[in-house]
Amino acid sequence: MPRKPSLLIVDDEVSVARTLQMVFEQEGYKVAAAHSCSEALHLLHNGGRYDAIITDLNMEQPDIGLDVARAAGGLSPRPVVVICTGYASSENSRTALELRVDYLATKPVDLKELVPALNRMLCHRRDLRAWK
Amino acid sequence: MNARTSTPPRNALVVVSDLEALTAFQTALASKGYVVTVARDLPTALLATTQHYFDLAIVSSRLGEGGDGWPLAGVLHLVFPRAFIAVLTPGEPDVVTFQSAINNGVSEIYDQAKGPSEVVSNILSHANEANGGATSVQ
Repeated sequence: MPRKPSLLIVDDEVSVARTLQMVFEQEGYKVAAAHSCSEALHLLHNGGRYDAIITDLNMEQPDIGLDVARAAGGLSPRPVVVICTGYASSENSRTALELRVDYLATKPVDLKELVPALNRMLCHRRDLRAWK
Repeated sequence: MNARTSTPPRNALVVVSDLEALTAFQTALASKGYVVTVARDLPTALLATTQHYFDLAIVSSRLGEGGDGWPLAGVLHLVFPRAFIAVLTPGEPDVVTFQSAINNGVSEIYDQAKGPSEVVSNILSHANEANGGATSVQ
């Protein structure tokens, strides 16, 4: 039986994180949640490994979600990284492109787009690893 | 000698509707040693993806009647996940442009007003920076 894909959701709005958690658990994901960038970084720096990370952008500080993306980029294998934000700007979205973030979703998040997009990216990543 | 010495990508796809720009990109890339395939519309570009492997793609976001370059970039990213994909966009990129780039797996965006030689130089510089695997041909 294939293992469940693991997902870390990072959002300082507990209700948003909880909603995403329920949605993705329903989709068959094993979901963990962090409610700040520092909590997420603590997980990542202490052996937490996830197939995908969905992070808010503005938490303790504006654009600090980019730090989560940066930390994820240093992991091997690199998780799929999705940023969800209501505060996208040319500057932070350029940085997200430079960090090779996989998906940028604007809030309010359209789950009919986000869920299949994440499923597709994970399948693609899995196929690539299978080829190696 | 560095065991991970990179070799530049060799096969490039250019998808631009303007014939003059297309020729200029072809010339600029060929001068750098690339084998270049060109297309002016989506159907021709998609056909090319079934016939060749590409390490580098340059796609205009606006292909006129030839279609929209963003979804083509997304397809190229799926088919050639290790390729460096550059998209040419008009004017200063805004949030929507960056979002389109990220969500379609684009490596970098460039102002289409810049000359093809300058764009190609920038792409090669970015591609080499991104190397570590992403664009190298072993």
